[in-house]
Amino acid sequence: MDTGVNIDFDDTRRATRLLRWYPVAWRERYGEEFLDHLEQEFAERPHDRRRSVNVAYKGLVARVADVGLSSSTVGTEDRTRAALGTSFVLSVLASIITLNFWSRAMGLWSARKFHPIPVSATAGILTVATAFLMVVLIAMVVTVILYALRQAVHGRARPLLWPSIFAVVSGALLLYSVRWLPRMLERYSHMFQGGVRWTHLGSTIYAFSQITWVLTQQWVQLWGQASTSTPTAMIVVNDLVPVALLVFGVSIASLVRRVELPRISARLGMATVALLGALIGVFVLTYLVWLTAGGPMGTHYFVPEGSLAGVIYLIFLALIAILIGRSGLLARRFERTPQVTSKENTRPV
Amino acid sequence: MGLGRNAGAAVLILSSLAGGDKHGYALVKDVEEFAGVHLPPGTLYQVLARLESRGLIIALKADNRRRPYRMTAQGATVLAEYFTAQRRILKTGQARLKRSWTLA
Repeated sequence: MDTGVNIDFDDTRRATRLLRWYPVAWRERYGEEFLDHLEQEFAERPHDRRRSVNVAYKGLVARVADVGLSSSTVGTEDRTRAALGTSFVLSVLASIITLNFWSRAMGLWSARKFHPIPVSATAGILTVATAFLMVVLIAMVVTVILYALRQAVHGRARPLLWPSIFAVVSGALLLYSVRWLPRMLERYSHMFQGGVRWTHLGSTIYAFSQITWVLTQQWVQLWGQASTSTPTAMIVVNDLVPVALLVFGVSIASLVRRVELPRISARLGMATVALLGALIGVFVLTYLVWLTAGGPMGTHYFVPEGSLAGVIYLIFLALIAILIGRSGLLARRFERTPQVTSKENTRPV
Repeated sequence: MGLGRNAGAAVLILSSLAGGDKHGYALVKDVEEFAGVHLPPGTLYQVLARLESRGLIIALKADNRRRPYRMTAQGATVLAEYFTAQRRILKTGQARLKRSWTLA
């Protein structure tokens, strides 16, 4: 069907600009024909604000789908990787809050003379959930780095370049912000006259919780008041840590989607997504039980800056668990949906 | 298998493709002509992508930058089922409306 419309250079530029709302995978599949369509629309009706809003909105919807948070049309493996990457970003953000909440729970538990069973049980579950979460996240980072290096060695590093640069820069900032960690570990290993007996699990966990408390409190108290003795450079670094963490998470998630992983990792990826969602979900529910079972011992300790912030952080954690669960379910559903390629179906009607 | 979200736009697109293969802009023009509805580009391609992923339409070889779409046998079945269901609703609604109107 010849539409008989003239396309000019400005229309092409406008159409290209609008196309940027869509994710790369979508642009690769529909980009050319979409541009052609838009150019014809522009030629016929040059100005239509509702059309621009519609394209922008649907582009954002496609982006949400692209990261595995709603139904999408990308391939099965991409769906699993998208869910895995998104789960990683969300879990990295959640890990700071879970570490901080767990540290407080452990600190309060250690300060008790009597240990009611519900408080001890919930503190134990929080410990296990937090430890597993950290192990899974670290394992993911190590796996992605190893496979990225392997890919680079084989001369196929080009698609990994930008995410790797961002990961290295943000990772360096994160490491710089915790450069005092070895000194801290040394100090804690000498406390209680003779030092923490690292072979004793209880005291080791307690020592770790004290370290993670100091470590995370400065980040959880987002842009909080720094002490007057803190150097300005350190305040800037601390304030940048949440941003660096987000950049690091997104970079690793991007690498998860680009790195060449073995085929078995699709199944393993689904299991990892489910595990991350379950761990954060269990943490939130257990923390709620810990709160109601008298864990805070009647103090106002409901992290980090009063009850409201605590409630917001808990809702944030719950939301993260739900989003991870959703991305996992969508990826699983997509994986199980048979792809329609039969000859019978492609017969013209 | 139903048409899911945006069933309205999906029905318009499938109905248009029932008349023959068309690319995006031709689809919009055809829908405008027979339904008086203008499908915005974002909505059009969102629905095209969904219909394609569900096997209700297939993308043919692109002619320059324009890629025509064709309804599949499954797409025709789903559209026919949709119309059957709509006819049932229409008949019931009309009958009830007629009765209410008579009572009033």
